[in-house]
Amino acid sequence: MALSRRGFVQTVGVGAAAAWIGARGREHGIWSAFEPTLQAVEPGTIVLASNENPLGPGKTVMKAVRTAFGEGGRAPGRYSGTSGDLIDALAKRLGVKPENIVLGCGSTQILRTATHLFTARDKALVGTIPTYEECAGYAEMMGHPVRAVALDSEFKMDLGKITEAARGAGLVFYCNPNNPTATYVGARATRDFLAKVNRESPETTVLVDEAYFDYVTDPDHDTHIPIAVDNPRVVVARTFSKAYGMAGLRMGYAVGHADTIKKMREWDAGSGTSSLNVLALHAGLAAVEQDPSFITAERARNTAARDFTMKWFSERGMKPTDSQANFMFVNIGRPVKEFRDACRKKGILVARDFPPFEKTHCRLSFGTMDEMKKAVAVFGDVLGKKTATAA
Amino acid sequence: MLQSRRSFLDVLRVLDGGRAEGDFNAAQWLAARGHEDYQAQAAQGTGRRPAPALPPGVKAIRISSNENPLGPGKTALDAIVRQFHEAGRYPFNSTPGEGALATAIASKFGVKPVNIVLGAGSQEILKSAVRAYTSPAKALVTATPTFENCPNVAKRLGHPVVEVKVDSACRLDLDGMAKAVKGAGLVFLNNPNNPTATLHSAKAVEDFVRRVRADSPETVILIDEAYHDYVTDPAYQSAVPLALKTPNVFVARTFSKAYGMAGLRIGYAIGAEETVRPMARLKMPYNVSVFGIAAAIAALNDPKHIEDEKARNTEVRTFTVKALEDLGCKSSESQGNFLFVDVGRPAAAFREACAKQGIMVGRDFPPFEKTHARISLGTMEEMKKATSVFRSVLRPVTTTAGRQ
Repeated sequence: MALSRRGFVQTVGVGAAAAWIGARGREHGIWSAFEPTLQAVEPGTIVLASNENPLGPGKTVMKAVRTAFGEGGRAPGRYSGTSGDLIDALAKRLGVKPENIVLGCGSTQILRTATHLFTARDKALVGTIPTYEECAGYAEMMGHPVRAVALDSEFKMDLGKITEAARGAGLVFYCNPNNPTATYVGARATRDFLAKVNRESPETTVLVDEAYFDYVTDPDHDTHIPIAVDNPRVVVARTFSKAYGMAGLRMGYAVGHADTIKKMREWDAGSGTSSLNVLALHAGLAAVEQDPSFITAERARNTAARDFTMKWFSERGMKPTDSQANFMFVNIGRPVKEFRDACRKKGILVARDFPPFEKTHCRLSFGTMDEMKKAVAVFGDVLGKKTATAA
Repeated sequence: MLQSRRSFLDVLRVLDGGRAEGDFNAAQWLAARGHEDYQAQAAQGTGRRPAPALPPGVKAIRISSNENPLGPGKTALDAIVRQFHEAGRYPFNSTPGEGALATAIASKFGVKPVNIVLGAGSQEILKSAVRAYTSPAKALVTATPTFENCPNVAKRLGHPVVEVKVDSACRLDLDGMAKAVKGAGLVFLNNPNNPTATLHSAKAVEDFVRRVRADSPETVILIDEAYHDYVTDPAYQSAVPLALKTPNVFVARTFSKAYGMAGLRIGYAIGAEETVRPMARLKMPYNVSVFGIAAAIAALNDPKHIEDEKARNTEVRTFTVKALEDLGCKSSESQGNFLFVDVGRPAAAFREACAKQGIMVGRDFPPFEKTHARISLGTMEEMKKATSVFRSVLRPVTTTAGRQ
């Protein structure tokens, strides 16, 4: 515990980690943020708050959902038995064996299971600040220490500092591209990092969250699934919630060494596969088996919306980080709460606070190009920056 | 803590399809899998048997998992289709969202959303309850046979489990359970009880709660009312009002039974805020899909459909109980959508004989596996076919008074 406390102080100052975990807003579970969860999104709102695919999963997947209703719409009355089909299809697509895959009710379940298994009262969780908070929130709830590591000046993960913090830790949560900062560490640097952590702290597991994998356009891009399959101390988390457009269906998975996956399956038993709904299982299968051009087209669509939106902010003197995802993290030079409240009144929902940058930075998800054109008009009004300034 | 008969580790090996096992016939196993039977089936190895070859034109009838054979009502299905455009939205951004479902359930009972915790099926609630309220020093008190999710989780965690056998009428032994409760962390009371289908009256439950509260005030009582909507006994009342006013008592409910949504995975806990909060802390965020949310809300707004489903089930239940009685097989007093029947022979033999003719009935339920079978109630048409198969399977025994 003392060690983790020192970790906080050294990296980001006392209290920052508490703020980090405590700030989980709409995306947190139903309890500590119950009121925001109850607050419905007004019809017609352009939602740029949750890094979703604004177009959803597409016809092939929705057709599979409809087919999953079965004769007379009776099939959803049955407990599902199709998780094996989705695992097989994923294994084939990823070039791994079925024993290397475990499914989850969104990658949320994967993140929780990994945190549960690989952290303890004497085995800390290491994560950057800010990053996606699910692991830290769960570790905190379990009374397991959390070591928060600051990002570098470019808002990228600082691999040296993470490696240092990883010594003796139970789990490193490595979200790449990182949510909410949208920055990406190249495949070569990540490979070296994984090898170094493994060498210097062989008992530490690294969870590589590839939620935004399909949106990366950096040429030095690759999955770390092959490493995970070979190394029991590396696990890759994936989700159907982002590029596949299935956030509402709840399906994610982990890929790893058979021994590691076995441990995850064992902990999930009793509410693991039984947390998977039949419509999501059918949708997932259709999504994996559909023409890969679906993802290519979605990436191109997102890249165009990203280029447009980043250019709009840059031209007005507001600097975004180098986004490799379907969202951006931009310095708007004022508390994001003010900006968010003003935008909401005009029908645009942007993301919550991300301490320690809540006084300056906003996370914006990319909607469709049409939505982004409407959104920047509102941003111009709210920020008083309708026209481009000389940069 | 592990018992060989229902070794959790054996079970785990086949979860997710048990793909690591080369000789394992996953397709057949998955086809027979139900709400709870994946565990014991796997432990029993029933999944390893080849699928029975059915005569041409015979379609398997699955009456093994206490499901609603008709699935969700039309209003629920329509609600799902209307949500297709929000498949890409997280359940906290969709309309309706997860908050709306918690609110709709709360309104049904006249309580606040903080009294409700949503689960990916009531199984998540049960698992969280065991995690929250038992420990190496605080046992789970449960019945045998009953729904095994709680004891399985407790054993997996290494927490002690006290199993109190049902009485001679296959009813929960409330007196025996109350005697075992001192110092326990959690009592699991399944009413009606799966697999025995028996019920305890509102008064019996209230007396039990009062006694446990007096003898062991720290013990939490979980009353699982999964089959609530199928009960016809006028002496029954839901324990929800009791839970709301009594500390350390809460109720688990599910949309998997009368609501016909087993495949959608929605359940909930309801009780006093302090009692359900530990389940809320352990809850997986956004554990119910946008389709599940929409379907459940639509179903809550269509109580007539549940009344109709209850009437349909009652009619089928009466028919099936009588048909089996005519074959000399007595059922315990069923208040669910399934029967626990003394078939006078090992359940495995009965199950296999029925499976050869396309009728899939429930798995073994120790300690009654040598005599009793659990038979879920399908549609009337399905049960007419099923009872005709039962007749052919059971008659040789009853006419010769022989036993296998």
